[in-house]
Amino acid sequence: MLEASFPAALQYQPDPVVLDAKMAEAKAKLLESIKRSVYVYRVDCGGCNGCEIEIFGTITAAFDAERFGIKVVPSPRHADVLVYTGAVTRAMRMPALRAYHAAPDPKIVVSYGACGCTGGIFHDNYCVWGGTDKILPVDVFIPGCPPTPAQTIYGFAVALGLLDQKLHASHHVEEPGFAAPLAFPDVPYKVRVAIEREARALSGYRWGKEIADEFLDVLDAGGADVLGAVDALIEREPDPRRAEVLSALRRVLMAKVVA
Amino acid sequence: MMLKLFKEIRKTGCGTVGYPYAPLDLPKGYRGKPSHDEAACIACGACAVACPPNAISMELSSEQDQITWAINYGRCVFCGRCEEVCPTFAVKLSEEFELAVMSKDDLEESCAYPVATCARCGKPYASAKEIDYARRVLAQAGGGEAAGGGAPAAASEAPGAPAASAGSPADVAASLSKIGLCLECRRRDDGVAAVRHAPAQGGALC
Repeated sequence: MLEASFPAALQYQPDPVVLDAKMAEAKAKLLESIKRSVYVYRVDCGGCNGCEIEIFGTITAAFDAERFGIKVVPSPRHADVLVYTGAVTRAMRMPALRAYHAAPDPKIVVSYGACGCTGGIFHDNYCVWGGTDKILPVDVFIPGCPPTPAQTIYGFAVALGLLDQKLHASHHVEEPGFAAPLAFPDVPYKVRVAIEREARALSGYRWGKEIADEFLDVLDAGGADVLGAVDALIEREPDPRRAEVLSALRRVLMAKVVA
Repeated sequence: MMLKLFKEIRKTGCGTVGYPYAPLDLPKGYRGKPSHDEAACIACGACAVACPPNAISMELSSEQDQITWAINYGRCVFCGRCEEVCPTFAVKLSEEFELAVMSKDDLEESCAYPVATCARCGKPYASAKEIDYARRVLAQAGGGEAAGGGAPAAASEAPGAPAASAGSPADVAASLSKIGLCLECRRRDDGVAAVRHAPAQGGALC
């Protein structure tokens, strides 16, 4: 990782464009008067095109950003809002600045996607600056890889001051002496591990875990007739694939209990 | 012709999602903001290792008494690897998707956990919660015999004991006796035990 292995003092960092107080005032005035006339220009600074496709999805009929007067324009000279996607490659720094300076003041800069916010998965790549805020003053960050159309609409609502942001920085310090609860303490450990492994081997990590949890819940609450409860679970499962995995788990249970 | 079009429009109705005014219909298994259950987390760092864009990080404080689990939602790619690897199911991808913020600092969330130090050399080696969790899991696996960990005498003898099969009560007891030691101290013990037992096995160390 470049950030960790190479001293920060020896790494060149670009100076971001800084706004003065007058510009901040003008921006506040713009937000007051912009209403439903939001012209957006998007600048692709080395994105994978996932973000562009989602922006396109946002302006289609299904999500219809034009309900709020949000239009994508083909030139930065028409724009009120600049949307920067991608991790800002070294080669795209000057074009990004040119687009920024070409847009009339005051303008709102939106950093779009995980790459635009922090560099995303490319954050430690040698040829990226890692985020729009390294070169420009950013007003709103919309995380996501890529952000869905709904996330995009929410991000624009935050940028235009229509909705409040929900996420806030948090730091929590845990006192010593807290114990993490054991999952399914009444099921013998080896049985639990065997069931989880089998379920995850058959249906993958995420869905396997869900199926194993369902099965172990029944074991935990089974009472006297555990096998009867398991059979009932398999019986009422509508999806034949899941029923098959559940019967495989039942075989594992039988093998473990008999052994 | 025109009438037919109007009929079609009336039949189809409005296709636009009502999202900002109405709650959004999310599909099953939607991968939104990873939610972290601070009480269930044992700060083992499995998610930090698995995280492809290094959005989750584990860092030891400069006083070496706390380990901090931190996530940067701005870097997260919502792949769900953290949820897959979590041994205590503390990380779960929620359906929360409204993550846009005005300031970059608001994208960060963190939780600090106390750190356990090695019973012999005093170096921090894991979060106290993880050690406690491992001790209870081992006690459950070994049939309820919970030994007090970290006794150096017991630890130095344990590797020399006749090779216990994995998961047997003797093996669990050996693991429990070593749980209070850091990795380096355990390796040293294993090395000492191997040298001590080398003559009995024909003098070959490996």
